[in-house]
Amino acid sequence: MITQEKLTILTESAKYDVSCSSSGSNRKNAGGMGNGYVSGCCHSFTPDGRCVSLLKILLSNDCVYDCKYCPNRKAADVPRVTATPEEICELTMDFYKRNYIEGLFLSSAVHKNPDYTMERLLLVVKKLRTEYGFHGYIHLKGIPRADERMTNEAARYVDRMSYNIELPSEKSLKLLAPQKDKQSVLTPMKDLTLAKTAFLEDRKKGIIKRGSFLPAGQTTQMVVGVSPESDGQILRLTQALYRKMQLKRVYYSAYVPVVHDKLLPEQGAGQLREHRLYQADWLLRFYGFSVEEIAGEDENLPMDVDPKCAWALKNMHLFPVEINRAPLDTLLRVPGLGGKNAHKIIEARKYAKLTFEDLIKMRVALKRAKHFITCGGKFFGEKNEHAVRGLLAAAETQESAKQLSLFSALSTPENAMLALHGQF
Amino acid sequence: MIYLFDGSTYGFLTAFLAAFHDENALLVSKTTQLYIGETPITVRTDETRAQKAAARLTKLDKKALHDLDILLRCQESDNEQVAFLYLRFLAKTGGPVRNRFAQPCVFQAVTYMKKVALEIHRFHGFIRFMETESGALYAPFSPDNDICDLLVPHFRSRFPKFPFVLHDVGRKKAAVYDGANVFIAPLDQASVVISGDELTLQTLWKEYYRAVNIPARERLQQMRGYMPVRYWKYLTEKL
Repeated sequence: MITQEKLTILTESAKYDVSCSSSGSNRKNAGGMGNGYVSGCCHSFTPDGRCVSLLKILLSNDCVYDCKYCPNRKAADVPRVTATPEEICELTMDFYKRNYIEGLFLSSAVHKNPDYTMERLLLVVKKLRTEYGFHGYIHLKGIPRADERMTNEAARYVDRMSYNIELPSEKSLKLLAPQKDKQSVLTPMKDLTLAKTAFLEDRKKGIIKRGSFLPAGQTTQMVVGVSPESDGQILRLTQALYRKMQLKRVYYSAYVPVVHDKLLPEQGAGQLREHRLYQADWLLRFYGFSVEEIAGEDENLPMDVDPKCAWALKNMHLFPVEINRAPLDTLLRVPGLGGKNAHKIIEARKYAKLTFEDLIKMRVALKRAKHFITCGGKFFGEKNEHAVRGLLAAAETQESAKQLSLFSALSTPENAMLALHGQF
Repeated sequence: MIYLFDGSTYGFLTAFLAAFHDENALLVSKTTQLYIGETPITVRTDETRAQKAAARLTKLDKKALHDLDILLRCQESDNEQVAFLYLRFLAKTGGPVRNRFAQPCVFQAVTYMKKVALEIHRFHGFIRFMETESGALYAPFSPDNDICDLLVPHFRSRFPKFPFVLHDVGRKKAAVYDGANVFIAPLDQASVVISGDELTLQTLWKEYYRAVNIPARERLQQMRGYMPVRYWKYLTEKL
């Protein structure tokens, strides 16, 4: 069994990855232990408010790379440990059996070289699936520059893989992670996307009879604010990743300076910027927006109102919309209305004409929406456009006042280090 | 009128029929409630009539009895009355009504059903098994709603080879999977002999939980929102 000391070191090095989700896979139990949970399942929550879903752990923290921001960089003076495949497999099985976790999130420092590291990671996931009969969720970090054949083989065993872009430009990567470059991350991502498409076609044709290939797809993450890219540029990259690479999620993390270096910015990016990027990301994925509607190429997202409000304020000629007639895609563009509320409205209005009071009874959030809708022709919002912007911004301040006070504890060195790893 | 029934599904359906045309009907099964100035009518469960009512409701909406089952499991004090108003509206409408969110009786019923569904989902994650000497898994917990048997399908498909016991300590009952069959049994106190590795694994899990946290980013309010304190009693990592 793995020792407590080893577990501590390998956990503390792995916890900085943002991705926590265990969704997207409906892997069936085939006689051993475990299965997938399509909607994902959180098993616990730590005092930092994050969920514990997967056993997030490194196979090794012994790295040959020297990325400036990384606590495990070659030059750092930290204890180095490497777990055996058996230790990881047994711990996963034992934790899973007790319902502590939904599966394994396995990553590793680049130990010796990329191929060797990938080989070891592949060995673990293969063992888990075949020898240990584990059918729970596995998220595997891809190792850039590792042999494509090993990557493709791993994809047959795991549910999700991810390569972290880290920095949205080549220049910044060179600056902070001299052994990485954009292609070393984008190439395997693209290869996996193509391989998945080919796999699915072969399954359709019956050439391949069983098995899966990354059923929960790929994700990535980017640090925001360490390099000069605008939100518009970042979101264009995001949109391309969603549309061309079919990524499931892009995670963002706001940069906070820690290492004082003339090449690094003195000012960190705020939490709010990260929040706005996530809001825009949701608009791209679930609300039918394209990046061109949300932000110009060199533009940043506004801070005072959320991106959907900002879009609506620029397009006031499209509003107000009638709640009893507007189609779903129009309702989804009303500020303050989310997917659930839009669907609730669509269903409820089939039976009776909805009044403003009905919406209140259905607990539809109207603080923002009321300025953009009519109910049976009646308008309950503010007519003056200037005033609307003020009211929307005020709604924002009320809601975020609490949240922002939580962000104020940001400027500690540990936090700053974590920021680079995508925690913020 | 107040209609007092025995809390069972058939009891509810008998009371449902008795109260159907009463505009001021109030359905209750919990005798602890206070009734101001009124003597409740005690409804005697009539299985035959109840079955007929069940069949009629199912004909109108094939998920009606499922909804009723969920609502009767809900621990809200007025859950039975909410179920009554919802099903009466369903019967009067003559078809499924669960999407008529603008109807207060529907909205209320849907809200309660969601509460139960949420708790089931939460316990898919929050159940903590301990391994016993025989290899069976035992999980004590104390849910708000009466859901222990509804958790079984999830764990059975996940651990088909492991017998397990989900023990609702508060209601003194358990859902048991013996490796083949599922049954519900009254269970007050369970005496469990844990396996040799169990305490070591619990220690490793607690250490993992500690190590994966980022102390500098403390957000206790958020943690408590997602994982309410009343559930901590049986969470290994919170002991």
